[in-house]
Amino acid sequence: MKDKSFIKMITGSREALLFFILIVMGILITILNPTFFSPVNIGQIFRNNALTMIMALGMLCVMLTAGIDISITSTLAFAGMTIGMLTKYNIVNSTLLLFLIAMVIGLLCGVLNGLIIAKGKVAPIICTMGFMYIWRGMAYVVGNSQFASGEDVREFAEFGKDGTIGPYIILIVCYAVFFVMLKWTKFGRKIYAVGSNPEAAMISGINVDNTLVSVYTIMGLLAGLAGALSVSIYASAQPNMQYGREMDVIAACVIGGVSMSGGRGSVAGTFLGALIISIIAKALPLVNVPSIAQNTVKGVIILVVVIFNVITRRMVDKQNLERREM
Amino acid sequence: MPESEYILELKGITKIFPGVKALNQVHFQLKRGEVHALMGENGAGKSTFIKVITGVHAAEEGQMLLEGKEVHFRGPKDALDAGIAAVYQHPTTYPTLSVTENIFMGHEIIRNGMIQWNEMHGKAQELLDRLHANFKPSDEIGALSVAQQQMTEIAKALSTNAKIIILDEPTASLTSNESEELYRIVDELRDGGVSVIFISHRFEDMYRLASRVTVFRDSQYIGTYDVNSITNADLVKAMVGREISDMYPKPEVKIGEEIFRIEGMSRTGFYKDVSLSVNAGEIVGMTGLVGAGRTEVMESVCGITKADSGRVFLNGKQLKISKPEDAMREGIILLPENRSTQGLILSWGLGKNVTLPIQKKLAKSGIFNDAKKENEISKKFLEQVDTKAVTIFDPASSLSGGNQQKVVVAKALAQDNMKLVIMDEPTKGVDVGAKAEIYAIMGDLAKQGFGIIMISSEMPEILGMCDRVYVMCNGRMTGCLSREEATQERILNLSMENSERDGKEEVQK
Amino acid sequence: MAGKSGRTIKAEQKLTAKQLLFTWEGALVVLFIAVNIFNMSISQSYTLSNVLREMPKYLAEIFMLFPMAYILVLGDIDISVGSIVCLTGTVTCYISNAGAPFPVVILGCLLTGLLCGMLNGFITTSFPELPSMITTLGTQIIFRGIAEISLGGGGSVSYINTKQIMPLSTKLGKLVPVIILVVIIVAVIYTVVLQCTTFGRSLYAIGSNKVSAYYAGVDVQRCRFIAYSLMGLMAGMCGLFLTAYTYGANTTTGQGFEMEVIAMCVFGGIASTGGKGTLIGGITAGLIITLLRIALGQANVNSQMILVVVGALLIIAVLIPGIKGRIDEMKKLRSAA
Repeated sequence: MKDKSFIKMITGSREALLFFILIVMGILITILNPTFFSPVNIGQIFRNNALTMIMALGMLCVMLTAGIDISITSTLAFAGMTIGMLTKYNIVNSTLLLFLIAMVIGLLCGVLNGLIIAKGKVAPIICTMGFMYIWRGMAYVVGNSQFASGEDVREFAEFGKDGTIGPYIILIVCYAVFFVMLKWTKFGRKIYAVGSNPEAAMISGINVDNTLVSVYTIMGLLAGLAGALSVSIYASAQPNMQYGREMDVIAACVIGGVSMSGGRGSVAGTFLGALIISIIAKALPLVNVPSIAQNTVKGVIILVVVIFNVITRRMVDKQNLERREM
Repeated sequence: MPESEYILELKGITKIFPGVKALNQVHFQLKRGEVHALMGENGAGKSTFIKVITGVHAAEEGQMLLEGKEVHFRGPKDALDAGIAAVYQHPTTYPTLSVTENIFMGHEIIRNGMIQWNEMHGKAQELLDRLHANFKPSDEIGALSVAQQQMTEIAKALSTNAKIIILDEPTASLTSNESEELYRIVDELRDGGVSVIFISHRFEDMYRLASRVTVFRDSQYIGTYDVNSITNADLVKAMVGREISDMYPKPEVKIGEEIFRIEGMSRTGFYKDVSLSVNAGEIVGMTGLVGAGRTEVMESVCGITKADSGRVFLNGKQLKISKPEDAMREGIILLPENRSTQGLILSWGLGKNVTLPIQKKLAKSGIFNDAKKENEISKKFLEQVDTKAVTIFDPASSLSGGNQQKVVVAKALAQDNMKLVIMDEPTKGVDVGAKAEIYAIMGDLAKQGFGIIMISSEMPEILGMCDRVYVMCNGRMTGCLSREEATQERILNLSMENSERDGKEEVQK
Repeated sequence: MAGKSGRTIKAEQKLTAKQLLFTWEGALVVLFIAVNIFNMSISQSYTLSNVLREMPKYLAEIFMLFPMAYILVLGDIDISVGSIVCLTGTVTCYISNAGAPFPVVILGCLLTGLLCGMLNGFITTSFPELPSMITTLGTQIIFRGIAEISLGGGGSVSYINTKQIMPLSTKLGKLVPVIILVVIIVAVIYTVVLQCTTFGRSLYAIGSNKVSAYYAGVDVQRCRFIAYSLMGLMAGMCGLFLTAYTYGANTTTGQGFEMEVIAMCVFGGIASTGGKGTLIGGITAGLIITLLRIALGQANVNSQMILVVVGALLIIAVLIPGIKGRIDEMKKLRSAA
């Protein structure tokens, strides 16, 4: 009987399943390499993946409305290059101001995405694909064949240097804000409503267009923030920075149980999804699997998790049918 | 200010959609604490009217008085704030969210800017208790039955402390037990001083609940009557605009030998141990309440879904059908219930729709599409069923419901190996004129010796057109009546047999 | 039983020149001409022979445009193709370096691609509940991951026997590169299949309304499986020619190709929501973008500005139907009132 409720809990809640996977992973890794769980390693896991984890929050909001945004790393590069150049040529040197500039740029990029998707009724993937090219191109244009090296952004990089707590604080604040926003505020409810059934949302008086514009704006804002963090953490700004990382962000959400058709997903799930991907990347070399295998492992995990989900859902449906009396 | 007799009054409402007048100068008066039925055929404008009341649509003309004062709703929110709540025909729930989240969507209990979940769960439980619901506030809506979803919607309406509750075809997909439950809830609401507007196709609902009835026809206001003083026939006349005795041109056809038979078909959770047979030239009706399993049986016959067990015979030969193509090859043609999502590709031209199932047969060497031949054939059959269209390239979406149904019929006729036609609710959402034409086509097909199965929930057409009627209830075949034996009462009895078992399935959880 | 009202329905369709021009394809052809004039004005070296010489660089990924059109018409999406290019390119190099004869190299490459496509097809058809975006996101990471593993620490591989694959990057009669010929042949086949056969019609039916198509006897899952398999095959073709021009593969080979190909299709009027557009539009769009790249490159325009241009074109292109729809709706509303 106990077994049954355990299985039920794991199949019933994505968060519980992920937590279980995480623990099993942790135990396995510790058996293979007891040095894994050191504060330094854990700290690095979060530091190296802060960008993915932060942008996953925005992606969660976007995907809750049944959308997707693949322009985020281009936005990140555009914002990152802009502040990189600003500090390289000593136009702006205040760390806080640079962060704000990056976030404003990201926010504007996001507003454009949102307006075109909501008002122009363009498929999110296509609209953001267009901006993926445009902002990436703009990152090159801003750079004008230059890039910002560690020397150029030295002062700014102090914030995200190894051993500082800046990135961790940003990460914690972001997660706290989004956790509260999605669970306990009216705006959070609206996001879920729009994604779960846009027609019903409209009938119950929710402004669907505005909600859509807001989530893409939030996504842009976070991408801008991630751009500044990226420059700070990696102490460089290049136009091709974080190229292709958007798929990691989407993958974190998908593993975390966020549904592509909208209305389903949570901050906790997203966090666990991102954490699992991060731990794999860090742990593989430590357990003697060459790090070049990490993508394969990551891909397999994505497929296994989503297929497992489909199969359990089919089983539940079948059980429900069998219970019907005739 | 003098208290008005009417809590809600609408005068001269006109609503225009691109290309059509959906409402033309309609009136409506709702008394305090009454249950008022709103009736009319599909497309008469009832649902649009409801959406005008709830502020989803803004009317182009007309006046709306709430408690004697004129109001203008700019959106659904205004109507909700004014105490008007609606439960729509297709439950407008949020399938991925919990019952509590659904009930309080849009009017969450918020203190200090934070949603009070505990309080909301408690309140939701109270509402569910009041409705005698058998599910929990934490259940996900998508996993509940339609009846339970509807109950959640009613709980939602109650949670806003609405003075006026509108129910749009609430019983359409409920079993008889569930309908009884709904009647009880509506009675309680009325006793609690709530005014209710009730849209339904079922006369039964109206007699059981309403004190007055308003009828719409073709987007226009026809009249308001006391339920006790209007006869069934007069009401039908008001709804359809003429006597309906001449509706059913059932031809005298000599019934031939048996051509089709099902033996002991079962599919877990949908239907159990179903058997039936059809003779050449015979129109066989299949009726029962929505959800009884009629459509599901026929979908399995046609290979849409797979039966778990059972045998299908055509002309004495046992068939193996695992996909729709197999059934078509044998000459079993299905006209699905839902034209826009199952029967037609709305964005396509009529011609291409007609020839889609036979494109391989028409194609040169079975591969390359033969446009000329396709156009000829589709023209021929579209004209044969008298489709109102200019060219065969008109998109199907540009036609009215009745004409779309004719295209679906043409699509079936174009399959020249047809032996058995299965029509699932062929006149649903079709206007009266087109209905008669579809019946005429059915009669013609019977004369030509095809076997016809008509699934229908509409009693008059079952009684008017069918040689024999099978009745299903809760997944089982409960009886078969000949044309002479079939009466409304007997069919209803068979539809509701064993219905006392219905409610139990959900309780076990 | 003839039509009772004696009404006849026309079965002829005459398109006026004006109507033809107002189809998306018509607009693209006009744009194509305009782009060529623009190209000639900004670059003196924009001549036929120069274009023919520079084109092959860009052509390898055009192979994937054709099956991608099929998948988009189905209403699906495949974002794993860039990774399949990487994997097949890598495999081709290894097969060739192992000393296999030329036909085996080609066959091995195409077969690898086909297998990858079939895997995508198998998963998407076995679990139709899963959005194709998620499935192919998973395989995207896996395919490139396998390539990364086989490439090892160095992350790249080069042909030892470059002579062997030379035939793929040469010119026939010293004028027309082989790749252009192959692309044309493939383009004709794919266009004819999509536009003129029952299979093509089935793809449109599925993309327009999956359920109706199924009810009308179209084998939905089989069609999807075939489309994904063809996608893999053509990604293999791309990998083959790409490595022939670059003499090897590395971990970033083919990165971002999926989006470029999808962008071309969408720009060509093939909606990502399915059921719309033609390959003629897709190919014209692909040509326009390729020629723009060549000319802007010749004119020494910052190569990254091209990204901005492509992105802007894409967004304008997808906004137009929405704007047009809104204008039509307003007209209708006015006529009803």
